[in-house]
Amino acid sequence: MHTLDVLLQQVVNGLALGMMYALLALGFTMVYGIIELINFAHFSVFMTGTFVGLMVLNLMGVTAVSASLQGPALVGTLIALFLATMTATGVLGVLIERLCLRPVRHVSGTAPMITTIGVAFILINVMLLTWGPQAQRFPQLLPNWRWGVGGAEITFKQGVLFVVGLLLMLGLWHLVRRTTLGKAMRATAQDADAARMMGIDVDRVVVVTFFLGSALAGAGSLFFGLYYGFTGYYIGYTTGLRAFTSAVLGGIGSIPGAVLGGLLIGLTQSLGGQFLGVKWTDVIIFSILIIVMVLRPNGLLGTRTPQRA
Amino acid sequence: MSAPGPLLLDFRGVHTYYGPLHVLKGVSYEIYEGEIVSLLGGNASGKSTTMKTVLGLVRPTEGTIRFRGEPIHALRTSEIVKRGIAPVPEGRRVFPRMTIVENLEMGRYTRRSEPGWDADVDRVFGLFPVLKERRHQLAGTMSGGEQQMLAIARALMTNPRLLCMDEPSMGLAPRLVEDVFDIIRAINGQGTTIFVIEQNVNMALSVAHRGYVLQMGEVVLSGAAAELLESPLIQKAYLGSA
Amino acid sequence: MDLARWRALPLARRRQIFAVVLLAVGAAFPFLTGNAGNVDAAANAFTYVLLALGLNIVVGFAGLLDLGYAAFFAIGAYGYGIAASGQLKPEWSSVWDLFAYTGQVSRLVVPGQPDTVQFHFAFWPMLAVAAIVCAVFGVLFGAPTLRLRGDYLAIVTLGFGEIVPVVARNWDGLTNGAQGLGGIRTPRLFGYDFGFSPYPYYFLGLGLVAVAVWLSIRLQESRVGRAWMAIREDELAAGAMGVNHVHYKLLAFAMGAAVGGLGGTFYVAKLTTATPDMFTFPVSVMVLVMVVLGGMGSIRGVVVAALFLAFLQSVILQELTGWVHALGRLVGSAFLQRIELITSLELIFGVILVLMMIFRREGIWPAVRRVSALSPEQQAAAPSRGAAVQLSWSQAARADAAPRTLLEIESLSKQFGGVAAADRISLTVRAGELVSVIGPNGSGKTTLFNLITGLIARDSGSIRLEGQEIGALPAHAIVARGVARTFQNIRLFNNLSVLENLLVGEHARLQAGALGAVLRPPRVRAEERAAVDRALEVLGLFGNRLLPRLDHPAYGLSYANRRRTEIARAIMTQPKLLLLDEPAAGMNPAETLELMDLVRALRGLGITIVLIEHKLDIVMDMSDRVIVLDHGVKIAEGAPVEVRNDERVIEAYLGRRRRAA
Repeated sequence: MHTLDVLLQQVVNGLALGMMYALLALGFTMVYGIIELINFAHFSVFMTGTFVGLMVLNLMGVTAVSASLQGPALVGTLIALFLATMTATGVLGVLIERLCLRPVRHVSGTAPMITTIGVAFILINVMLLTWGPQAQRFPQLLPNWRWGVGGAEITFKQGVLFVVGLLLMLGLWHLVRRTTLGKAMRATAQDADAARMMGIDVDRVVVVTFFLGSALAGAGSLFFGLYYGFTGYYIGYTTGLRAFTSAVLGGIGSIPGAVLGGLLIGLTQSLGGQFLGVKWTDVIIFSILIIVMVLRPNGLLGTRTPQRA
Repeated sequence: MSAPGPLLLDFRGVHTYYGPLHVLKGVSYEIYEGEIVSLLGGNASGKSTTMKTVLGLVRPTEGTIRFRGEPIHALRTSEIVKRGIAPVPEGRRVFPRMTIVENLEMGRYTRRSEPGWDADVDRVFGLFPVLKERRHQLAGTMSGGEQQMLAIARALMTNPRLLCMDEPSMGLAPRLVEDVFDIIRAINGQGTTIFVIEQNVNMALSVAHRGYVLQMGEVVLSGAAAELLESPLIQKAYLGSA
Repeated sequence: MDLARWRALPLARRRQIFAVVLLAVGAAFPFLTGNAGNVDAAANAFTYVLLALGLNIVVGFAGLLDLGYAAFFAIGAYGYGIAASGQLKPEWSSVWDLFAYTGQVSRLVVPGQPDTVQFHFAFWPMLAVAAIVCAVFGVLFGAPTLRLRGDYLAIVTLGFGEIVPVVARNWDGLTNGAQGLGGIRTPRLFGYDFGFSPYPYYFLGLGLVAVAVWLSIRLQESRVGRAWMAIREDELAAGAMGVNHVHYKLLAFAMGAAVGGLGGTFYVAKLTTATPDMFTFPVSVMVLVMVVLGGMGSIRGVVVAALFLAFLQSVILQELTGWVHALGRLVGSAFLQRIELITSLELIFGVILVLMMIFRREGIWPAVRRVSALSPEQQAAAPSRGAAVQLSWSQAARADAAPRTLLEIESLSKQFGGVAAADRISLTVRAGELVSVIGPNGSGKTTLFNLITGLIARDSGSIRLEGQEIGALPAHAIVARGVARTFQNIRLFNNLSVLENLLVGEHARLQAGALGAVLRPPRVRAEERAAVDRALEVLGLFGNRLLPRLDHPAYGLSYANRRRTEIARAIMTQPKLLLLDEPAAGMNPAETLELMDLVRALRGLGITIVLIEHKLDIVMDMSDRVIVLDHGVKIAEGAPVEVRNDERVIEAYLGRRRRAA
């Protein structure tokens, strides 16, 4: 294949991946924007979402080996799948916030973040104990259609990812920019005390943010399952660190930053994997993380500077 | 000024602690409808804690606060704001990455489901034409004086019965300070009761009807503004005895 | 020996006895247990104890959350592994002659191919090498984090912690990739090869742990340890007391990494194999859980927690699983009979982290705040209020001494977001004066203090202390030059005792470094004793307010005592110039009078004082001169009486009169 074709292909792949990272990064960055918490558990919620999706599909009679669905049945199944999973992960996020994070919210220092590490470990290991260490096959609902684009190929799966991802992001954008609730969320993120003085119930805003962020993680988790065709207890960790880097790169706390960062990291992964070797992509991505945090903690689009201790 | 209306805010015997510090030591004052009342005091007098206590951001350990006869000292901030008290916080605290209009929306948050948005916005833009010009500008890019206008406008969006202003002159150039106090007079002229907590004695007493002077958490002087202004006791309260 | 006699022994003696008893128990354990499996488990456990002690230095002492600690474990492990196995086989050259002579390498002759080097470096020097190499990496990984806040610092360390095993997994030539190193030589002592018996490793591990514990205790109770804890409690205030945070943070990383490297070398020598999976993020978390469970900063807590969790992993869960299986057979539950509790180990870690953070952040067995070894004479010292105020190091100004300028500020300016917090301020302070700075809220008084003490950088202008420019110096260097301060909202080291707070104040006047802290030669011991003596002197200035509370943690003190402690701490820096920011705030009239007596006394001792105060009666009463600021500008200066009646000052406080309506 022509190098340009390879390049183009990897760009397509990278953008598709980037959508998934962006969805995951969005939820994470929203929580940070509101309460300045680095929530490791977010990525375990993501991982849990894939298993919830599996269970939902099994309940609907869809397994990895059952007959493939067509047309309206497929669309209906997808809608039900997304709604159910996103609701479930949203609720899980709220539960985590209420039970584990609220008690330590006002503690200064790193205690809240350490708590999220603990929650992450708990979720990961509950999934491990329930489902076992081996990868689980995720039903390949989406047909394997492909189209040529220039010298590259774009699959139906990738197309769905783009469209659904875009829809979700537009939905989020509309919520945050246009609705009163969304503006209350932004106000709280910018000045929580002033928001209180306006009569905004900051606690409720936090809960809503966790719900939304975790629901988006749920959507991202379904992307993972549908795209890769498998899941395992460890995916939160690997994908999570990449989504985390996306959020930091784009500017932690910034919603457009999460999207930009996600796409950039997706591209980095696919292009880097192609030209430098898959085994080095993690090192590259971690290095980006470190460099951004040290040299430009704001990230590309962020507006807050992490203060010194 | 015509006779003051009924008692609006009754702050009685309030003790408040800020951590281990006993900041308010049995402070009492009243605000009647239609008035401008000023609470004055120097540094570390307890002025800001007063506003926080009224708004429910800090709870008193003793004493009562009644608004229109109903106790509010145990209510949540959102409840208190719904009852008709609107704050203009110290340092303005506008939402920097939201536009002027969005800030006004936030000001009206407790009434967001009520109709009348257009009328409220028009009234506020009438008072502050410069805000109307810039209504889609981000609040963080405005000057200090403009932000002060916005903070006041934002508070007026709920049509409050009591406007609480915390150090409106802070950080503003003297000429702007005059403008702000002109506006305070104008708003009061339209019927809003105003409670101004201030460090700038002369400015505050030149627009207020009555004043209280706070020193080290206790009210040491009170009376009609004109009398207070001429009193040598004020200078003593701020600068110590001769 | 009954309890009363035990308590009467000095601390050092009690510790020695305790240490001997513990070591004896430790040494006897292998023979008591008779089960080689237990000895093996214990030897492995010692590795984790080492790691936990190392992380405790970084997280517990210095307060730096390192989430990638396994990296140092890995570097120590792979370092020895590569040096003691057949992994690397460079071509022979004369460079290796010296190593061959000392028996560290051999020349491998293979017919038909160039000669290669066979590595078999001895274990014992490699221990030292591993420690040093890891210390270097500790500095390398720590340096980028210096300016970062707690969460961000943790993330960067996490990043490094991830890069190391990935590199190990992929750099096949160096590390043999995912398969890992094998055939690592076991240690040899005087011809005796440790081999695969757990016993020699057990004793080696016990010895290493003993050394690490000793090191930790020595460091904790030294100038270095106090500097770390000050940074952990309040980095800003630590700098204001003379602690160089860059130096000490890097030192903490280096020492923590070195101990981790020791653990790695030991572990790999025992296992004779090293694979990348041994050093992943869950390992870092496991060590963190040990430190969190035991109590961050608590040496005894960390040791116990590490032993417990290590045994949990290697022995306890297995035993419990056996019981659960038996129970399953008893009740006929197939599920119970299949459970392997060991797979829930990480679940237990997660639960521990969450529960500890919510319910007991100080750990199961937190460190006790104890007065560091006061001698009997020191313990008996308790001067009462009214005794002549003396400080051994101070020099009262001679009556005939010519007035000299101590501090000279010229056209100092600083802007914050377009607003001038300081606007071309110029002033001088003469030695021996008591100058007050007053002004309404927001006039720039504290900003002025922050500029003088180096907490914030000026935009322009000069600050000269005794003729020397200090405007560009970092805060800790300015303290060394003789400027000290207190803070408006009191910044004590809350979890440190009163005495420890004061001793941090002396940081710039003492010299013991890490080596001196650990070895404690006579010079260092004398220095510490003298430091404590001086602290007691200063505490004596406050009568019986603080002395009885020497070893109380600062967070438990009354408000007035916290103020006093902060002032005492500032005095400990032996300042020529003392800046007090609203020292009387929140104090009742009696306390205020007492404070002012103290200020006058300090002045009598030759300390020049600049005071920010709002209680203007006091200011007028005590000051030689008063400087008035408004909106960052100096608007008046002079004798108290002049200033108080100055029109501009009155206007600044009361506000300008309104123009005619």
